[in-house]
Amino acid sequence: MTTSSASLVEPPVRIATPGRLRETLRALLGQRSAVVGLAILGVFVFSALFANFIAPYPAEGSAAQLVRPGEPGRRAESCIHILGCPADRPETIFGTDGNSRDVFSRVVFGARLSLIIGFATVGVAIIIGTTIGAIAGFAGGFVDNLLMRLMDVVLAFPALLLAIVIVTMIGQSLLNAMMAIAIVAIPVYARVMRASVLSVKEQDFVTAARALGESPRGILSRRIMPNALTPLIVTGTLGIASAVLDVAALSFLGLTQIGLAEWGAMIGSEFNGIFSRPLIVLAPGFALTLTVLGFNLLGDGLRDALDPRLSR
Amino acid sequence: MTRFLVRRLLLTIPVMIGIVFLVFVLARVIPGDPCRAALGERANDTICNAFNERHGLNEPIPVQFALYLQDLAHGDLGFSIRQGRPVSELLIERLPLTVELGLYALLIAVVIGIPLGLLSAIRRNSIIDVLTMLVANLGVSIPVFVLGLLLQFIFAVILRDTFFGLPPSGRTVAGAPVVPLAVAWGLDGLGGPLRGLLDFVSNMYTVNYLVRFEWERFIDAARHMILPAVALSTIPMAIIARITRSSLVDVLGLDYVRTARAKGLAGAMVVRRHAMRNAMLPVVTIIGLQLGALLSGAVLTETIFNLTGLGRTLYEAIIGRDYIVIQGFTLIVAIGYVVANLLVDVSYAVLDPRIRLS
Repeated sequence: MTTSSASLVEPPVRIATPGRLRETLRALLGQRSAVVGLAILGVFVFSALFANFIAPYPAEGSAAQLVRPGEPGRRAESCIHILGCPADRPETIFGTDGNSRDVFSRVVFGARLSLIIGFATVGVAIIIGTTIGAIAGFAGGFVDNLLMRLMDVVLAFPALLLAIVIVTMIGQSLLNAMMAIAIVAIPVYARVMRASVLSVKEQDFVTAARALGESPRGILSRRIMPNALTPLIVTGTLGIASAVLDVAALSFLGLTQIGLAEWGAMIGSEFNGIFSRPLIVLAPGFALTLTVLGFNLLGDGLRDALDPRLSR
Repeated sequence: MTRFLVRRLLLTIPVMIGIVFLVFVLARVIPGDPCRAALGERANDTICNAFNERHGLNEPIPVQFALYLQDLAHGDLGFSIRQGRPVSELLIERLPLTVELGLYALLIAVVIGIPLGLLSAIRRNSIIDVLTMLVANLGVSIPVFVLGLLLQFIFAVILRDTFFGLPPSGRTVAGAPVVPLAVAWGLDGLGGPLRGLLDFVSNMYTVNYLVRFEWERFIDAARHMILPAVALSTIPMAIIARITRSSLVDVLGLDYVRTARAKGLAGAMVVRRHAMRNAMLPVVTIIGLQLGALLSGAVLTETIFNLTGLGRTLYEAIIGRDYIVIQGFTLIVAIGYVVANLLVDVSYAVLDPRIRLS
């Protein structure tokens, strides 16, 4: 036996190194759904980054209201026409909403908001969820039971209704809506993290690390976290899709600020327009659907690429 | 089987008590004064004091809870603060629509989702499989309210005057009379829970017209249900199709299926008699879990299609701080959950005898 203690402590899953990262990326690009998802998301990321240059008009505030050239007081009629418009009517692609704001510009700027919403909401949920899951899995016994039953209670309510209650409790705003959706999403990440902790807690390399005097925090961050990363990334990507969807639903119901250039809010305030000017409702609707689809496809692809056991 | 059922029923009691308590606390935690929310401009201290007195809101919270439990034990769900009507009356008026809608949505989801998943699993990686999974992915990605609006646009705007045209909102054509079954059947004098039940069923319009053989009205009511039910069904349908596929793919790879094939059984027989039974267990679980998705979806669907059901009522009660309505309706939702879970467990026991015996 020449096994040194150092090799015993080596976790079975290596932490991401450039070589492994490239390997993962290649596996990911081999997944059809991931490629399609990335392509869709690429369009929206581009539109979010360069919204200022793409959108012909501002999206929010009084500056967004289109007025007749030279007549500051009067709202302009929108004009959807490829062959040019009369001089007193600004040319638009999807038309204007009830407040004379250019819907195309608002959809372009909406990408920025929705991407931020997705990442921020899931980020908060992952930070709180993994902490709870790690504590539960690591401590075991009573603490574990208490925390996980608490998570069960949160899961027992229909997510959207619980989120509505939370937003009503803490006040109606976009930030609070994101907070509510993050809270509702916490149990998912707590469960994933706890499962990862439990699956490696008793393995030899963790025991060895403990025997070598590594602190619990060190064990958690250096030995256990790398193993939990894969399921967290996959769940998180799929989670962004549902976070974008759920925040948009709250926005649609009018639980965020009025006039926000957010796709759900845009649909919510204009949905009766479907009978007269369908584009002002369907354009943000399609943008929302495509973004969610992009994250869902990417999540599926990531799962198949990162976890070969699941791909069939 | 009886012992299994009894034990399972007894287990639901602590869950129900926990839910009642939680809902009560949650309703009180929502900040805001129910009196000012209900009376608006007219509210002042004297009026509000009388208002709170009348609705028992001046009592300490623990006393309020005890009184609430006492009323519940008598089957009394209380009075709506904002509408001045018994919650039970509201329930009988509005819940049937959501139950009707939810059942149709679930029916569509199961009837389309399971065969789709089955086809994809059998013809794995074929064009059918790829298309099905694409539809499933789209189904979970499109928000309920966007799909609802899209359906309205296609069937109520573009196809309006064609054979495929469908009504965009509401439950019946304007002015269609809805006669309560009790009245139609000459049971006007009937009271109590039985009358409540009958009124509840009466408010499921399609059922009402169907049992009274009013075909034209039935078709009209059913046509009004199609778009909202389809909008509500997509997410459960997509999920059911995906689970059916992956579960069946798993089972088809097992040894006993290979044995069945080796015995010379026809392919269809192997799938139907041997594989499906085991593959259905996760599918049943998922179907049971769809209740939450259906309820969340109901809030949005009812908003789009201008329907006043459980979702809309609950939403308005939360916004308007109508504690008593929130409590009453959430309790019903919770009971729905418990019943759904019970049904799932029972169907497990039917599908898999091992569960019944252990």
